[in-house]
Amino acid sequence: MKKLRLQNLIPRIKAMDAMPAVPTIVRPLVELLQLPPDQVRVERVVQLVSYDSTIAAHCLRMANSPLFGRRNTETVRSAIVALGLKRIQAILMGCSLNRIVPPDKWAFDAVIFWRHSLGCALVSSRMAKLIGYPDPEKAYLAGLLHDLGILVNTVACLAEYRECIHIARETHVALHQSEAENLGFTHCQSGKILADQWKFSADLAAVVEYHHRPGSAPVAAPLVSLVHLSDLLCRLRDLGYGYYEAIGVDLAREEAWAILAQHHPTLASMDLARLTMDIDGAMEDIAATVDAVFKPQ
Amino acid sequence: METGAATAGSGGEAEDLRDPAYLKIRDAIYQISGIYQSDEKLYLLASRCARRMRAVKANTPAEYLEHLTLRGDRGAELRLLLNEITIGESYMFRSPPQLEALRNVVLPQILATKGAMGLKRLHLWSAGCSTGEEPYTLAMFLLEEREKMMAGWNIDILATDLNDNSLTAAEAGIYGEYALRSTSDALRNKYFQPYDDKRLQATDRLKSLIRFERVNLNDDSKMIFMKGMDVIFCCNVLIYFDLSSKRKVMQHFYSNLLPGGYLFLGHAESLYQVDDRFHLVHFPGAIGYWKPPTGYRGGGKP
Repeated sequence: MKKLRLQNLIPRIKAMDAMPAVPTIVRPLVELLQLPPDQVRVERVVQLVSYDSTIAAHCLRMANSPLFGRRNTETVRSAIVALGLKRIQAILMGCSLNRIVPPDKWAFDAVIFWRHSLGCALVSSRMAKLIGYPDPEKAYLAGLLHDLGILVNTVACLAEYRECIHIARETHVALHQSEAENLGFTHCQSGKILADQWKFSADLAAVVEYHHRPGSAPVAAPLVSLVHLSDLLCRLRDLGYGYYEAIGVDLAREEAWAILAQHHPTLASMDLARLTMDIDGAMEDIAATVDAVFKPQ
Repeated sequence: METGAATAGSGGEAEDLRDPAYLKIRDAIYQISGIYQSDEKLYLLASRCARRMRAVKANTPAEYLEHLTLRGDRGAELRLLLNEITIGESYMFRSPPQLEALRNVVLPQILATKGAMGLKRLHLWSAGCSTGEEPYTLAMFLLEEREKMMAGWNIDILATDLNDNSLTAAEAGIYGEYALRSTSDALRNKYFQPYDDKRLQATDRLKSLIRFERVNLNDDSKMIFMKGMDVIFCCNVLIYFDLSSKRKVMQHFYSNLLPGGYLFLGHAESLYQVDDRFHLVHFPGAIGYWKPPTGYRGGGKP
């Protein structure tokens, strides 16, 4: 296929801000997510969620899913109390981003995309807790948003992106590799443009841009490495992009592992096989949650 | 996995599952045998324990935990519980992700390395083959692959077990519907012949790939001669070994394997803290243990 030039797509990516499908709450939400927890007011979050009834409904369904303990929360406020402000904001962000792509305009199934993103969020926060990374909720958010660029590619060049994914599926290669070879740029590069446009914090932007080459991240190397490993683990446990990637990964010898181990020495003694089996165990709940929230009714 | 002990989908046993003793039982089993049940699968563990609890007349999970950890016959009880946990696992094509890993990653690597040296013989070992479902699966799988990507290669599958009765059954190669439930009609027609009105028997062609032998994995004098393996399968066998025997068997497996070879265990089994020379390698849906070639320093693809 003919390669595209990312440069030519920049106006289209920057215009994503003004697209009618982009919920008005995304911008204020990104700002809110950067604040320390004690400066976020519950009222403000309730207000944001309530702007849009579809998003509010998504948010509640998510909060009530088996993954988050099958609560019976009926109001946004009680969901916030039950799950915590940070987690609710992350859920809200995911639900808002889902609106960027119209239902019939996905490059691959929305359900597959969100299973991977949510899986990565959960594995990132789980690993963060296991190794003593100081901010598991940030790890959750980073895992959830790391593939922002896939949404960008879907909106900016749908036909070409579908072809690129088709080739990856047929040849069993990693998506970012197929993007580099066939599309001409990766979701890391395109995601970075939108992350900057939306004023993501430097560490979140680094995750979006460098999660496939964590050694090059200029900031937040541990967070980028954490998401890199979680992303790999998810793709290896049936929470990938919905096709078979022919890979065998020696995770403990990945560059990301070494970077993370420098900052968190407990990583060396982490029981990787057990973590993997935990992910296997959580798969059903992740799938059920994503299906409940994102599957077209 | 975020929510602690699972309370989901367990119907009448929901209350029992909140008993922290189940988590302790889970962890005790894991430490001793390497078999792991995730939080979401605790209800399965609970139902398996329930059967053993009735047998030993333990009233609570905590009491049963004592049977597993403190009593004099704890070794025997653990073995009985492990039998319950791994029960019904023996059928052909039981673990498709392992075979996919073989097809897509492991075999291409080994074929490339050995092919470059002009060696066209593949050695696989099913260690603890029980009644033969695993070696016959491998034989069918490899014959099918040979037609596609390994023309001219010789295939040698060694199938060993300690139990003479199991070995006799394995050599006879007669299977009913349960063992064949995941075997396609095409493969049944190609590699099996009718035995009686309910069972099929492996054809001589299929059997000819497999060498059956009685081997005790604890027998050092025998283990040191099992050389030149490309891939070893040892599923749900080491779970019955204590840590020091496990370590010894792993040392043998390590030297039995050629550099670049792989060891596969059962899907819920872990080698954590048993042997750190093997590299844990993730494949889609499966985990393998890899013996790196001399001089491997990481970074590249295993």
